[in-house]
Amino acid sequence: MPRALVIEDDEVTARDIVAELGAHGLQADWVANGRDGLARALADGYDIITLDRMLPGMDGIDVVSELRKRAVETPVLMISALSDVDERVRGLRAGGDDYLTKPFAPDELAARAEVLLRRNRPAANETRLRVEDLELDLVKHNALRSGQPLTLLPTEFRLLEFLMRNAGQIVTRQMIFEHVWGFHFDPGTNVIDVHIGRLRRKIDGAGQVPLIRTVRGSGYVLAPAD
Amino acid sequence: MRPLTDAWRSATSRLILIYGALFAIWCVILLGVVQWESSRYLTNVVDGMLAARLHYLERTDTRRLTDTVDAASAIDATGFMAAGLFDAQGRRLAGNVGKIPKGLEEDGVVRAVTAQVQDHPSEAGRRARGLASTLPNGQRLVVVKESATIDGLGAIIRRGALWGLSLTLIPGLLGGILIARRPARRVRQIQLAMEPIREGDLSVRLPVSGAGDEVDLLAGTVNTTLGEIERLLGEVKGVTDNIAHDLRTPLTRMRTRLYRVQQQIEGTPQAEQLEAAVEEIDTVLARFRALLRVSELEDHRRSACFENMDLGTVLKNVHDFYAPLAEDRHQRFELDVGKLPPLRGDPQLMFEAFANLVGNAIKFTPNGGAIRMVALTDPTGDARIDIADTGPGIPVGERDAVFRRFYRGDETRAKPGCGLGLAIVSAIVRLHGYSLAVGGNDEGAVFSVTCPAA
Repeated sequence: MPRALVIEDDEVTARDIVAELGAHGLQADWVANGRDGLARALADGYDIITLDRMLPGMDGIDVVSELRKRAVETPVLMISALSDVDERVRGLRAGGDDYLTKPFAPDELAARAEVLLRRNRPAANETRLRVEDLELDLVKHNALRSGQPLTLLPTEFRLLEFLMRNAGQIVTRQMIFEHVWGFHFDPGTNVIDVHIGRLRRKIDGAGQVPLIRTVRGSGYVLAPAD
Repeated sequence: MRPLTDAWRSATSRLILIYGALFAIWCVILLGVVQWESSRYLTNVVDGMLAARLHYLERTDTRRLTDTVDAASAIDATGFMAAGLFDAQGRRLAGNVGKIPKGLEEDGVVRAVTAQVQDHPSEAGRRARGLASTLPNGQRLVVVKESATIDGLGAIIRRGALWGLSLTLIPGLLGGILIARRPARRVRQIQLAMEPIREGDLSVRLPVSGAGDEVDLLAGTVNTTLGEIERLLGEVKGVTDNIAHDLRTPLTRMRTRLYRVQQQIEGTPQAEQLEAAVEEIDTVLARFRALLRVSELEDHRRSACFENMDLGTVLKNVHDFYAPLAEDRHQRFELDVGKLPPLRGDPQLMFEAFANLVGNAIKFTPNGGAIRMVALTDPTGDARIDIADTGPGIPVGERDAVFRRFYRGDETRAKPGCGLGLAIVSAIVRLHGYSLAVGGNDEGAVFSVTCPAA
């Protein structure tokens, strides 16, 4: 079972995070201040850390900087009430792998944590992704469904790659926007849905098992057929 | 606003000019009175002397009169004071007055005349005071005295007045100009300091020289007022932000609970109701996010991320992102990027700004319409990006209002949205020091962003 360290000073939020991660199959430990958090992160082998930006004892930025300085590469999901994009940039530059602003929906946190866990696995270096009969060759830059080549635009290719790398996991619209387009704000429209719709029409042909599913109220998941 | 560069236009210069003019008029009146009084006094003295001389001659024995008149004439060879004896026909019998001056009546009244005095260089006659009388034997006695003294006094006073005025007014005016330059310079400084305030930056204060004069007093009052306005606006903004900020947490928790219940009872009619409720909460949360985003941008804290920016790439990304949406709506979405000057900015923010503009254009353009995004270097060397659509256009009267938070025009009210997109665009454009204008007509709106070259 993957292990998560939750460094969060607000008890209510911490409980929510621990519960949500637990519901997604992670064993989560909670620490309420930065200094203890750093000590635990250094001592125990965690698979992922959720780190509040503002903490008593030691600031979240300092904790992640210290971890990176000591060559600890555990994925860190920064959580902060500071929504300013500068703050996000600062958090990511200090060594955070992703950034989530408070308040957040717990399923969004779980989705981001799972993406981080997956990214940290050796599979991230694969050059060939495969989900059911859908194949993506990252070197040759081609896609096949049931052995038939798919004609994808560059954006569609990146979108499919992100979905396939996180196959079986929910990815939110915000996460798709951030990872595929590289921008950190709320596009506030249904444009992501349109892109997914177009991709879906290309990969889920008539008579084929639909691979991209919509998870109401959350986002999308590329899942093998049940 | 017209710059106050001409020193003559300043209030101080005008005051100095008015004061100088009044001073000059007063000097002229004063010296005029002095001259008039002096002349009157001297005239009275002269008139008295003439009367005494005539009185003496009238009472002289007729037989010795000729000699006496000659003797009296000889007293003043220069003709300063002259006398003449004439027969009834006006022929001269004695004295040095050439002939009876014109207009001189024998009525005992001293008159201003032109008199010819013999043996005097000025043969043509000189300005003089004259008195005449007729003796019982019909002879006529005339005494005259030149007015040169009286006129000379007037000339002296006039010259004195001219010197006095020039010595007072010229340094006064020069000094005035120099004095007026200082307030004019300070007003110019204040005018410059006001520019960012006019642009909406209420943190700027007017310069205070420390001299404690009326300009300082005024600047101090304006600064206090600005401080108060800034505080009040900050409070209003703070309240809005706090509402948005504080409500997000309970709303998020409510969303989470509803979502969990919805997941548990998926497939039932109640789950659909819950899904609708979750969507409503998402809409409210998105609005709060947008509201806080505007505030965040207006706080001007993002300039640290400015870099040399390839706006063409940003626009291409915006086009790629929105093209499928336009295509779904059977709209033509064209991008035409020409050569652009080097620009400094934040590509993330510019993407956000143009995404909002293009998103709006697509939203308000009917199916089958067209959206066109054109980027070029305008004749002044700045980059200009026009986003034109074939939607309903924005009425002239609403073109400023559309950039205000939560403003929704009549045409747009029926469409989904919260009226914050253009406020975000406006905040981003202002943050970059770019300018944003809206134009177009009934056949569509045109949003133009002008970006000065780096």
